[in-house]
Amino acid sequence: MRLKPKPGDFFIILVIAAAAVIMLISMRQADTGEKTALIIHDGIVVKKIRLDTLDHTEIFEYSGKYPGVIEAENGRIRFREAACPDQVCVHTGWISKNGQIAVCLPEGVLIKITGGGSAGDDTDILIR
Amino acid sequence: MNASGICGETMKKIALNGLLISLALVLSYIENLFPASLIIPIPGVRLGLANIVTMFALFYLGFVSALTVSVLRCLLSALLFGGLSPMLFSLSGALLALFAMQALKYGYNRQFSLLGVSIGGAAAHNTGQILMASLMMRNTALFAYLPVLLFAGIAMGFITAAAAQGIFYLVDKTQVVKHLG
Repeated sequence: MRLKPKPGDFFIILVIAAAAVIMLISMRQADTGEKTALIIHDGIVVKKIRLDTLDHTEIFEYSGKYPGVIEAENGRIRFREAACPDQVCVHTGWISKNGQIAVCLPEGVLIKITGGGSAGDDTDILIR
Repeated sequence: MNASGICGETMKKIALNGLLISLALVLSYIENLFPASLIIPIPGVRLGLANIVTMFALFYLGFVSALTVSVLRCLLSALLFGGLSPMLFSLSGALLALFAMQALKYGYNRQFSLLGVSIGGAAAHNTGQILMASLMMRNTALFAYLPVLLFAGIAMGFITAAAAQGIFYLVDKTQVVKHLG
């Protein structure tokens, strides 16, 4: 009745863990210098906020089926409130490191922190 | 005339499929009530309880039955609680998981136990969800979540494999369901 693992099981676990570690290493970004938050709504960059030089609290409101409020201050940004049902975006809390993301899937809003100002802007589709 | 015999078998299989769909539906509803994403705030982190049902269907009734159970579970769940986009998520995850588990099933009892099947299925599920989410958000940044989801999938895969192992043992012992697949 108890699990009787076979060698192949450990092989699968090893492969998945290795893939995860490789992804983590390859996606790691230097966390120094310029820090810009991109707010992307439905694939479009709607707002760029320079976080490392921000000296006040900046509020960005987005509308849609599930509207919400994004709050940025020096070095960090978060979804302050949102009308989406799952609230995953609000529970994510503050993000502050390069490469970190916060996302509201129901509304299609993504916050992403990148190092370079325009170099990190890797949105591949722009539809107007 | 053994037509009634065949008919009986088919009826039994249909009834069993119906039971499994409702069981999977209830399990995914319970998961929605207490989402694991409250603890780990990443969209798509879940225990994967419905995957126990998919595994049962796959091993006892075959691939077609498991496919029916997964697809109908996602459709009914969308009709009852969700909308289109949650359905696309669960569907892409569930289908990829099912294909992965079907592939791993070939090595079952030789190279793999239920543990490998379950963890492989969980990893495929997470990958499918991230792919669908990236398509919907039109941005690849979501892949930043995948490593964490994969690690979570290994842990969740352990839990669902242990649960499935217990269920399989009891089903075999009591012979409640004969192998129909």
